[in-house]
Amino acid sequence: MRVQARLLVPIAILLSLSFAVAALAFGASDPYAAALAAVAKDDTGGALPLFEQALEAAPDDLRVANDYRKAVIAAQAYDRALDFFQRLTAAHPKAGNAWLNYGYAYVDKIPVAGSITRVILANGAITQFGKSIQSARTWVALYTRGNSYNYWPTIFGRAPLAVTDLEEALGLARREAEQGRRLRVHARTWVALGDAYWKTDRKESARSIWREGIGRFPDTPEATELAERLARIDAPKNGQSLDDYLAAKLDPAVRVDTSLDGLWSDP
Amino acid sequence: MERPLSARWALAGLLLAAPLLGAEGAVPPIRFEAATAAVGAGFRHHTRTFPGEFSEVLGMFTSGGASVAVADYDGDGDLDLFLCDSELGTESRLLRNDLEAGRPETLRFTDVTREAGLGGGNDAHSIVSDAVFFDADDDGREDLLVARFGTPILYRNLGGGKFEDVSAGSGLAKFGNTIAVIAFDADNDGRLDLLFANYFKPVNLLDLPDHHVLPNDLDAATNGGGVTFWKNVTEKAAPDGKSRPIRFVEATEAAGFAGFTGWALDLGHADLNNDGWQDVYVACDYGTDRLFFNHRDGTFRDATQAAIGFDTKKGMNVDFADFNHDGWLDVYVTNITDEYMKECNMLWSNNGDGTFIDLAKETGTCNTLWGWGAKFGDFDNDTWEDLFVVNGLRSAGPENYIPTLVEMIIKPGIDFSDVASWPKIGAMSWSGRQKKKLFHNLSGQLFKEIAAEAGVDNVADGRGIGIADFDGDGKLDLYQANANQDSIFYRNRTENVGHFVELDLRGVRSNRDGIGARVALKVAGATLIREVNGGNGYASQSAHRLHFGLGRSTAIESAVVSWPSGQKDTLILPIDRLSVIEEGKGVVPR
Repeated sequence: MRVQARLLVPIAILLSLSFAVAALAFGASDPYAAALAAVAKDDTGGALPLFEQALEAAPDDLRVANDYRKAVIAAQAYDRALDFFQRLTAAHPKAGNAWLNYGYAYVDKIPVAGSITRVILANGAITQFGKSIQSARTWVALYTRGNSYNYWPTIFGRAPLAVTDLEEALGLARREAEQGRRLRVHARTWVALGDAYWKTDRKESARSIWREGIGRFPDTPEATELAERLARIDAPKNGQSLDDYLAAKLDPAVRVDTSLDGLWSDP
Repeated sequence: MERPLSARWALAGLLLAAPLLGAEGAVPPIRFEAATAAVGAGFRHHTRTFPGEFSEVLGMFTSGGASVAVADYDGDGDLDLFLCDSELGTESRLLRNDLEAGRPETLRFTDVTREAGLGGGNDAHSIVSDAVFFDADDDGREDLLVARFGTPILYRNLGGGKFEDVSAGSGLAKFGNTIAVIAFDADNDGRLDLLFANYFKPVNLLDLPDHHVLPNDLDAATNGGGVTFWKNVTEKAAPDGKSRPIRFVEATEAAGFAGFTGWALDLGHADLNNDGWQDVYVACDYGTDRLFFNHRDGTFRDATQAAIGFDTKKGMNVDFADFNHDGWLDVYVTNITDEYMKECNMLWSNNGDGTFIDLAKETGTCNTLWGWGAKFGDFDNDTWEDLFVVNGLRSAGPENYIPTLVEMIIKPGIDFSDVASWPKIGAMSWSGRQKKKLFHNLSGQLFKEIAAEAGVDNVADGRGIGIADFDGDGKLDLYQANANQDSIFYRNRTENVGHFVELDLRGVRSNRDGIGARVALKVAGATLIREVNGGNGYASQSAHRLHFGLGRSTAIESAVVSWPSGQKDTLILPIDRLSVIEEGKGVVPR
């Protein structure tokens, strides 16, 4: 889920340009378009109420909520987003994507929180992800909750729950691929499920799923990540064991890229 | 603080070079030998048992108190031990060092608690938590302050191995849940003041009127006891040699500490901006540490935001050293780094401009698990100060308390401050059986963890550390005090160590202990600095003496003492021995 921050910069520039174009196309009366236009002008503070207005009109709109959260991160307005999604989900309890983004709003705040507050936020995220799954068992909801469990230290016993969610998400991803909808973002399922297998001491299952992922998504950044794991599965690489590698990858102090752009843009 | 990019690259280059630097010098492997029973230094600490339904929770939150203080209380030239106990019906202990001068193999301690008139402090209203030796009345004898969850006890050293409880007339009558205390001269008036770290707010935990006494936030708590500052107003000893009654007055507000209500767990003093005045660092549990710069008049300003920024970590210990020989004292703070909480310690490298950068990760000193006391010392006399860190909260049964605790933490709307919110720990362990860490300083850029090779990777629930050359062999030994467990005395058995000098400073215009005095030695082109401190390090007081490893150098290019009075003395020092330094005179006979 994470990408280097420096990679986000050119992406942000491109998106800003496209948002500006979108704003022109939709017109100033469309709050979403106006929000994108504000973001393009680096006015994230001004964009937030516009995004919220747009979401109140379309609470289940995954893309609007995703763009809203990106603006929230830029403005570091984490508590505002949590309050907003609480109100939104209370008003629209069947909006699964609102619940999903509510959960992500918790995740977005984790890196700026203290070590204990992180636990509380992580638990809040999982609660909201669960409500999203109750609304609809989508790939994104199942993958998200499953991968969230992976961030919990093994001692808390969340890893078996990660396996359950991620196996179901993998089944959905495979089915979508069979139906011709093969998204690169789905490769993350193969990464995360292997991580969950590893954390539940299922070494060969981890090896198998990571190998399958490389075969399905060759020449992608995810394939590189999978190869890094496989390179450490039997012995350390460059002095780093797989446990240490995964601990670094799943460090809650490091911001997780919670953007869902990959669902509608497949680079 | 964010370090400029160019500086990061420079640091990266140094880090790459560091292993080579460490490898090329024929540095002997550091070795310690556990010799607790052999030298008669055995002691078992007992944590306090609380009455009532909240016994277990309060016991968890007060599991400190295993403190060690080192000083030559009887003036016989060797260093003695005072060890704190905390349970009702137990006594702290004074262990007299009966070393025969010049014969390290004769090291032997004798329990002289009763004849000295010490040992008290644990009663129905009070729990002993820490101790510090300091010469409160400047009479040349080490007095003893015993800190408590309660009111402190001040023992005046009468000479002849006897102490007298002079608390009643000292002015130190204010109740506080004190967990650490340091003695230093804040205003350079020649008298040693006291700064108390108070963990809980001032309520009697042994008779709780209200359950809401625990942290109101586990990352940013504001309902702790803060610190209290006591100014020493004792009259200087008269020319007839008669010392005056020891007296303190509270000056917390006047000194600039009144607005601070964090969960102070440890504190330390040092001159962090090289202006000749002692500054203060406070390590706080459940929230941000605080750094106070001295206004050069004994009052302080909170410089936390600009100097180090605000943190949310669980600060446990403060110690200082110029670990990289750049002429500025740096700060080491332990936090909690474990499977379930990865905070990382902080090694605040002093930028020399009032700001600091955390280099714990870069130097390899980040992870010491559930950290407690940590102390710098040059254990192989190679000129570079190494670092010993103890850890471990509670070693009990095989079941782990953490999952139980987390279930409480994630309950919506839970009130952390309410004792009743916290689950009982029973026979469960909590970050227990953790291996101690000994970091060997590799030329000031990188530390290598060598506890196992050095023989100090015990798994006791460590708290305080006392470092001193107890046997007079020119090498620093270790005393490790453990919570509810037996202490461990480690003799330094490193062979072929470098040369050394050890200095016992005696102030005249400055305080008699020389606390706050800085010595700068120039050796082989490098300048080594040390300051005499009054109890830095959690539950720890090392010897007042300053120990310098000289490596292979047999000559000291220059040696200068800067006293708190402003006096500067240039010294001609013999090597490989202890020298007594008197303010204004230099080296004097022992």
